Amino acid sequence: MHRKPLGTNLLSPRSRLIMWGGLGLGVLFYTLFGIVPAVANLAVSFTNYSGFSGSSTAFTGLSNYTALFTTQRPGFIASLEDTVFFVVGVTVVQNVVAMLLAHRLQGRGKTAALLRILAFFPLVLGVTVVGIVWLLLFDPLSSPAEAAFGAIGVHSAFFGSGTWAMPLVIVVQVWQNLGFTMVVFIGGLKAIPVEVYEAAAMDGITPWGRFRLVTWPLMAPSVTVNVLLAVIGSLTTYNLIYILTDGQFGTNTLGILAFNSAFGNTADLGLGAAVTMVLLAAAVVVALPVVSLLRLRERRLLV
Amino acid sequence: MKSNEPFIRLSHPRRVLRATSAVLIALLFVIPILYVVMISIESSGHFLARPLVPPLSPSFQNFSSAWQQGDLGPEVVNTIVYAVSAAAISTVLSLFIAFPIARRLVRWSSGLYRFIVLGICLPLPIIPLFIEARTLHLYDNRIGYIILHVEPGLPLGVILLTAFISSIPKELDEAAWLDGAGYLRYMASFVAPLAWPSVVITFLYSLLAVWNDIIGPVVFLSNPSLFPVTRGVYNFYSSNESAYTLLAAAVIIVSLPVVALFLASQRQLLRSTMGISA
Repeated sequence: MHRKPLGTNLLSPRSRLIMWGGLGLGVLFYTLFGIVPAVANLAVSFTNYSGFSGSSTAFTGLSNYTALFTTQRPGFIASLEDTVFFVVGVTVVQNVVAMLLAHRLQGRGKTAALLRILAFFPLVLGVTVVGIVWLLLFDPLSSPAEAAFGAIGVHSAFFGSGTWAMPLVIVVQVWQNLGFTMVVFIGGLKAIPVEVYEAAAMDGITPWGRFRLVTWPLMAPSVTVNVLLAVIGSLTTYNLIYILTDGQFGTNTLGILAFNSAFGNTADLGLGAAVTMVLLAAAVVVALPVVSLLRLRERRLLV
Repeated sequence: MKSNEPFIRLSHPRRVLRATSAVLIALLFVIPILYVVMISIESSGHFLARPLVPPLSPSFQNFSSAWQQGDLGPEVVNTIVYAVSAAAISTVLSLFIAFPIARRLVRWSSGLYRFIVLGICLPLPIIPLFIEARTLHLYDNRIGYIILHVEPGLPLGVILLTAFISSIPKELDEAAWLDGAGYLRYMASFVAPLAWPSVVITFLYSLLAVWNDIIGPVVFLSNPSLFPVTRGVYNFYSSNESAYTLLAAAVIIVSLPVVALFLASQRQLLRSTMGISA
């Protein structure tokens, strides 16, 4: 569209000034606290900035990156493995379960409406409360999980155990975001015209065929949104892990590693920024093919 | 909105299946919360002896103890001040950005829109933001903490509001402006009320993000009198790890305000979330 911007000439000069002022202030906030730090992260990653006032900061070139990929930082490769496990686990489980929930809870009945609200609760409660709730549920000394697993002779430190911690962290992350993912899927389901289902029913379609040939292709946009949000979200998140395990017991994803490198005992902001850059690169490398693949699928199905 | 469900009477096995699945879904989301509510009204003696048995005589002692020991009062006030101010500023700025974009009042409206939407994909760069906060004297003070929490709400706010304002007829602007209405008065008495559902959603999502933030309080604050509830409750957890019943009460106290707000607005919140992929 190449229409000339029009309409402001109806406003008084004073009003026009206010319009520009409001827009400018908004864009300034966004640039100063969103764009500038995002770009500055690269610069910080080339330094040994510690954040302590008084200590000197020097340009150290690529040394933070070489430290990561050589044996100087032994945890880094393990952290990459933890990240892959976490991202794949969260993305698959969250989308599959949310899809099932969306099919069950898309109706107009009172039960479905009530359950939709319940499913949204964890998101509202926030990571701190949700994290503490699950730490209480899986307390190794006295908790429902201890009682249930103890009854079959299984005792574990749960969030403090190398084998249990990662699957449990995945479960909590999924539990927290399930409601949101489900509601986006329900939006996708509602966008499918009833007539399509009626036509399919006349052709005598089976329920599975109905899902595979009608629902799944036609809700493609909501699948794209949810898969992308799950991948980017799980790749970059660390607040829940900070509460649950602080990256210990095999849950040291890149997100929490970046945070702890900068604000943990090492207090190495430069190193943390370097880990963040690796994280961003990973997000781009993973997200771009996922988006183009899903968009390709949308086009093939919808045109 | 039409229901997609076929209008047929369900057979008996299907009805059983639907009822069972409804119960299972309810349990999935209710059990964790119910457990915390249950132990919050248990005395610690009861909890140590029979933790999983509901108490015969509920006691609300834990709530007053947690309120005092956790020093929750000032923290709840801090959280309310931070969340309401940051969300309000964020919503107003979103409106100021969204309106000229939606009406194409400035050159490069669509380019500007894409520039702002980009922010949804950028993860919050906490390390440079920490350096910026110290340089700009926003570190460890109330005003700074609020200012630092405005930006995260802007991209989603601009997306929601631009979409909504585009559906308001343009003729209204011209009629009001010909009548001599100023920009601010027009925004306050026409645009904001007409776009109210998306104004509310922008405010709520922004408020929830500030209310539930745990990383911000850890990175941007060091004076305990400035702590919001998230950091207060987390510290309470770290220092009283075995005081389960008190902890449960504290968690419930700090959750009640957002839960009330959510229940009051759940219809709009869920509806606008459904439209995200559209």
